[in-house]
Amino acid sequence: MNIMTLQRYKNELILLLTILFALFAFLYKLSANTDVQENQLIIQNQVAEINTISNLKEQWSSKKITNKVNSLKSIMPTLKVKTFNKKSKKLIASYVDLTANELNTVTNKLINIPVQIVTLDINKNAKNQYTLEFTCKW
Amino acid sequence: MQTLSLMDKNNNRLFIHKEMENVTLEHSVEIILTPQFYTFIREELDVKFTYQAKQIAASLFDDYLDNTIDYQYHVNKCNDKWCFFAYNIEEIDQFLESKGIEKYRVSKIYFAQQLNEEVKEPISLSENNVLQTIDGIVTIIPTRLMEENAYFKPMNLSELKLNSGITMGASLDSFISLKETIILSSLFILLGTTFVVEGNRIKSSLFTENQKLTELLDENPKYTSSMLRKSVLDKYAPIDKIEREKRQSLKEISKLLSSKSQLQSLNIQKDNIVASIQTSDSTISKQVVTHSKAKNFKSTNNGLVVKVEKKL
Repeated sequence: MNIMTLQRYKNELILLLTILFALFAFLYKLSANTDVQENQLIIQNQVAEINTISNLKEQWSSKKITNKVNSLKSIMPTLKVKTFNKKSKKLIASYVDLTANELNTVTNKLINIPVQIVTLDINKNAKNQYTLEFTCKW
Repeated sequence: MQTLSLMDKNNNRLFIHKEMENVTLEHSVEIILTPQFYTFIREELDVKFTYQAKQIAASLFDDYLDNTIDYQYHVNKCNDKWCFFAYNIEEIDQFLESKGIEKYRVSKIYFAQQLNEEVKEPISLSENNVLQTIDGIVTIIPTRLMEENAYFKPMNLSELKLNSGITMGASLDSFISLKETIILSSLFILLGTTFVVEGNRIKSSLFTENQKLTELLDENPKYTSSMLRKSVLDKYAPIDKIEREKRQSLKEISKLLSSKSQLQSLNIQKDNIVASIQTSDSTISKQVVTHSKAKNFKSTNNGLVVKVEKKL
């Protein structure tokens, strides 16, 4: 292709170049869109996963749980707390002669502390009083 | 009599006329066409722009040119009038080739009419022809018609200021006009730029997300490993699920209790929760059963004792 031909089709060439520019720019936009859609989902999932893990770990193995568990003993009169064995990250407790209200207080307290309730046993005796035994860990 | 050199000192400009000698070129030249290669009309027209004048150029030459030949037109403003040139590029091309001038060597084409001021005094083109302006129009005159002792002005072509030149390529018709090219190209450039800007904006949104992830990983560097994340999640997710269910079930059982339906026993084992509720009469018993079933408990009543059970 000599210079004269180039000059003759100068307008067409300019137009072709601008069309190519627009086309490549469009492809760039498309690829950016696809790239973002794919990676955004991955990143959002990772962020959500890390947040979930952090929250779960903070909730179920927080160092503050040990102190909170102690309150399960202090909320009831000593006479009614039959057993309160706390070893490492495990608690075995039993209560006797609880009224319905006292039973509510203890169980409400228990379910509001993020511990794993391994066993829980509530029984009503002949005097319309309750015994409560539970094992929990964290 | 003084004869004008065909080329200027730097050999950059060249008069093109039928009696010119063959030339050998090693670089590009600008050529000045003499009236032998174009037809010239000067008109006073009520148009403002060159492209408008160019649109009516062909019709102006209707009566002067051979319709069977394909002509090109060049228009430029000269003082208050419009100067129209009609030329046949193929004819010029063939002539140049016959004189040893390859077309790609021609960088610009000018018309001798543009020298109308400079050739008010005649200049000699060859032994037989002179170039002179007569009534404002540059014309080729046979030398024999000149006075015997006529003075021929020397001329240095490289010193001349020439405007409004055309290129060989541009003189050939393009499929798309310059005006259309400018409009369409501007549109495509605008469109392309919009796409690029939009693409960059989209990409920057990912940057924000990435930054959020990086900050989180900086706070918890151990979670960089997906294996570790999975392991931690596998440990805590089931605990979270089952402990929430236990607590929810306890709350639901407590809602079944009243002064007429009292808890007898409740037991939570690994994946099972069972409660016995003592009711005061069969109506209450039925109500407890209905409500517990609505909460997805498996319920059975034995007399006035209702047993509710749920697998966790």
